[in-house]
Amino acid sequence: MDVIVVSYGFYLAISIALTVWVAHTLHKNGRIFLVDVFHGNEPLADSVNHLLVVGFYLINFGYVSLALKLGYDVRNAREGIEALSWKIGMVLVVLGGMHFFNLYIFSRMRRRASIADAPPPVAPDAYTAVRGHTYAPTHGSV
Amino acid sequence: MRQLTVLYDASCGLCKRAQGWLMSKPKHVELIFVAATSDEARRRFPQLNHDLTLTDLTVIGDDGAVYFGPKAWLMCLWALREYREWSLRLSSPALLPTAKRVISTISQNRYQLEGLGRVALREAR
Repeated sequence: MDVIVVSYGFYLAISIALTVWVAHTLHKNGRIFLVDVFHGNEPLADSVNHLLVVGFYLINFGYVSLALKLGYDVRNAREGIEALSWKIGMVLVVLGGMHFFNLYIFSRMRRRASIADAPPPVAPDAYTAVRGHTYAPTHGSV
Repeated sequence: MRQLTVLYDASCGLCKRAQGWLMSKPKHVELIFVAATSDEARRRFPQLNHDLTLTDLTVIGDDGAVYFGPKAWLMCLWALREYREWSLRLSSPALLPTAKRVISTISQNRYQLEGLGRVALREAR
């Protein structure tokens, strides 16, 4: 078997393993965020989590297979390893970018959800009696 | 907090325009509008200094918390679904002084601004 086919074999094996590992990490740790975002609605959180991971797999495997072709000839093991290293590096950078993009989506969803329960932005200047209510400050003081 | 009472200056056109705008927006917290120094306002808040409420916008929470001037404006924004994020952003330490200054300026010149708006409308016609 020539060097380039062996390189392609290693490239696919390493890329697939990395993608599965990152997707698994995302799936496991993203769930906690999503359960919080959906106020403890676990079935919905699991569903959204799963859909996100499917998208993650599709984009990454799509990139891995598009970037497979080397386009030049590899004559010895050294050149094979260099080409492999370059390709794996690109896959890692794309995975990293996707991973941070996912984190950004999680944190944005969480922020959106927390805004509905946000306390008043400023402290009151004073307290006054309200007809029908007794004087009972529930937060902060002047 | 489920409800905020807004004591506004009913003799000012700009304030009534703002009231209409606030009423038309979807809310997190219910807003009740009561004309400042009206009998209704005095009935609801017997201990409040009502003369002060004519000088600037006042918002009172259902827990009796009184927000006056720029803080009252921020509380109105906070009540609105689409603007709560803005109220939080504007009341961050970096932006709050500027926000207060701008709101105070608008509030203190509300009658003049209303006049300006009317002149602009007349000239546009």
